[in-house]
Amino acid sequence: MALLKKSSIWIAFLIALLGLPLVFDSILAISILNQMVIAIVFALSYNMLLGQGGMLSFGHAVYFGLGGFLSVHALILIEFETMVFSILWIPLIGGLFGLLAGIFIGSFSTRKAGTVFAMISLGIGELIAASSLIFSSFFGGEAGISGDRTFGPMFFGFDFAQNIEIYYVAALWAFIATLFMYLFTQTPAGKMANAVRDNPERAEFIGYSSRKVRFISFCASGLFAGIAGGLFALNYEFITEENLNAATSGRVLLMAYIGGLGYFIGPIIGAVVLTLMNSLLSNYSELWMLYLGIMFLLTVMYLPRGFAGFIMMHQIAWIRGNMKLLIKPYIVTAIPALLFTLCAIALIEMSHIEDEVFHYLGLELNPASPITWIVILAVAGGAFFTVKRSLVQLNDAWETANAIPKEEEA
Amino acid sequence: MAILSLKDVKKNFGITEIIRGVSLDIVEGEKHAIIGPNGAGKSTLFHLISGRYNVTDGSIRFKEQHIENKPPYEIARMGLARSFQVTNIFQRMSVFENIRCALFWSKGYGYSFWHLLGRQTELNDEAMHVLEQIGLADRAKFPSGELAYAELRALELGVAIASGSELIMLDEPVAGMSHSEAQNAVELIRKITKGKTLIMVEHDMNIIFDVADRISVLVYGEIIATDEPKKIRANPKVQEAYLGEVHSA
Repeated sequence: MALLKKSSIWIAFLIALLGLPLVFDSILAISILNQMVIAIVFALSYNMLLGQGGMLSFGHAVYFGLGGFLSVHALILIEFETMVFSILWIPLIGGLFGLLAGIFIGSFSTRKAGTVFAMISLGIGELIAASSLIFSSFFGGEAGISGDRTFGPMFFGFDFAQNIEIYYVAALWAFIATLFMYLFTQTPAGKMANAVRDNPERAEFIGYSSRKVRFISFCASGLFAGIAGGLFALNYEFITEENLNAATSGRVLLMAYIGGLGYFIGPIIGAVVLTLMNSLLSNYSELWMLYLGIMFLLTVMYLPRGFAGFIMMHQIAWIRGNMKLLIKPYIVTAIPALLFTLCAIALIEMSHIEDEVFHYLGLELNPASPITWIVILAVAGGAFFTVKRSLVQLNDAWETANAIPKEEEA
Repeated sequence: MAILSLKDVKKNFGITEIIRGVSLDIVEGEKHAIIGPNGAGKSTLFHLISGRYNVTDGSIRFKEQHIENKPPYEIARMGLARSFQVTNIFQRMSVFENIRCALFWSKGYGYSFWHLLGRQTELNDEAMHVLEQIGLADRAKFPSGELAYAELRALELGVAIASGSELIMLDEPVAGMSHSEAQNAVELIRKITKGKTLIMVEHDMNIIFDVADRISVLVYGEIIATDEPKKIRANPKVQEAYLGEVHSA
C-alpha cells in the first residue's frame, strides 16, 4: 500500500507521457511533445549539476551534443549494416558517450566548484564547439551529419518511420531516465552531492572528498545528457554544431532555472514551459527570445526558486485549508497585471514592426499614430498603478492564509 | 597511552609564526581543554590536527599513524571528528539529513549510488537516535538553516559526534550561548563524549574547570603548561600570561 502510494505519482507521470499524444494528435503537437520529452531529460541532467550539486555549468550541451553525434554515427553504422541492433537502443549509445566525456572532462573540472568550475565548463564548451567545425569528417562541419532511423531490425513490426512511434520510444526512455535521476537523489552519493553543494568544507570533515562527490554527480549528469542527445538524434535524424554550442548550454540553464533548481520537478516544468514558448510563441512573434529573456530576468528577481518554488510557496496555505482565501486576491491582481503585460507586448511589437497596421487581439492599431502610443501608454500606466495598489490586499490575504491558527499558537 | 601525539608542530603564514613548536600528548579517554588568550593559535592548532591546514614542520600522530598534511576526509575516516567555532552545517538540507550524511562513511556506504536510503532502516534509526541524544528529534524534518542558535549549535555537535569517532575536537562549543543554554550544552557534551577522548577549545573558565581532566595553556603559539585544572590555576606562569588578564578584565 505504501509502495503504491509512493509510486502513484510515477504512474501518473507515465500515463501523462503515454496519453498526451492521444489528446494532442496533430503533427505539430507530436513534434512539440517529442522536443518536450528530450528537453525534460536534458534539463533534469543539468539540474544534477547546478541544483543538486552546486556546479554552475556553461557547457552542458557538450555531453548532449557528443551523445547526439555518436548516436547519429551509430544510426549510419546500422544503415550500412556494420552494426546490427534495433534503433531502440540508440539512446544508450548517447548515454555511454555522454558518460565517457563526463569521466574525462570531470576528472579535472570538478576539482573546484564555483567560478573555477564555471570558467572551465565555458572553456570546454567553446573548445568542443570550435573543434566540431574543424574536424568535419566526424562532425560534418556546419551542415552536421544525418542518418536514417528506419534501418536496423524491426521492433515488433515497427520501423519507426512515424514521429508518433519515435515519441513513444522517447517517452519511455524519458520515463526511465527521470526515474533513475530521481533515485540517484535518494542514494548516499546523491545526498552527499547536496551536502557538498551546501558546504564542501564540512563534507570533508565527515569523511568525503568533495571533489570525488562532485565527480560522481558530474559523470551521472553526462550520462543522462548523452541519453537526451541520443533521443534528439532519433527524433531529428541529424545533428549539427548548434546542438553542442553555448546557445544550447544557455537554453538548458534557462529551463532548469526558470523551472526551479531546488525541486526535482522544477526542471521538468521549465522544460515544458520553454519548449512550448519556443514552438508556439515563435509562430506569433519574431521577438520571442526577447520575451524569454524578460521572463528569465523576472524569474531571477522575483521568483528565485522558479515556478516550482512558486507552487511550493503555497504549501502552508494548502495544508491549513486556506487556499480559498487567496483565489479572489490573486484574480484582483492578475487582471491588471495581464492588462499591463498585453500593453507592454503591444508597445514592444509596435516599435519592432514596419507594417502600417498592427493586428493585435482583434484590434487594428496604427503604429505611426502618436495617439495609439499615448492610449496604450496610458492604459499600461493605469494597469501598473492598479497592480501596485492591489498588492496590498494580496499581501494581507497572504498573511491571513499563512497565519498560525489560534489554537496552535497556544 | 597517547591517542594523539604532537611533536614540535610549527605553522607559519608567510613570515608570521602562528604555532611555534607545540608538543602535546593526549591520553586516550581524557577530556583535554586548550585555553589561551585571543590570537594564541588555538583554532590554528585545531585546523592543523584535523587536516584543514598543512603543518610547516613537525609531526602529528593519531593512533600511532602520521596524519600531518593528510586531507581532512582521510583523517575523519580514521576516527577523528571535529566541530567548528562558526556553525558549519549543510544549511539547505533537513536536520535529519545533516546527521544521516555524517553517518554514511562510518556505516560503510562510501560513495554508493546503488543504496536507496529509504530502505536503510538501521542507518535511519541510528540517525534518529543521534537526534534524540542531541535533543532535536522533533526538529528532524526542519530545514537546518532555519534553526534557532542553540539548536544550530546542538546540530553542529551532532554532525561531529554522529559517526562515533574515538577522538572528538570541539572548537568553542558554547560560544554565544546564554548561561542556561551553555549549562545544557555542557550536559550534552558530557553525555555524548562519555568513554571518548575530547579536546576542547573554550573561553568560559567555569565550563573548562567543570569538564576538563587536563588543561593546556597556549600562549603565542607555544604551550606554556599542561596539567590538572587545580594545578593550572595555581601555576604562576599561567596566572601571569592568561588568568591574570581575565581577572583584570
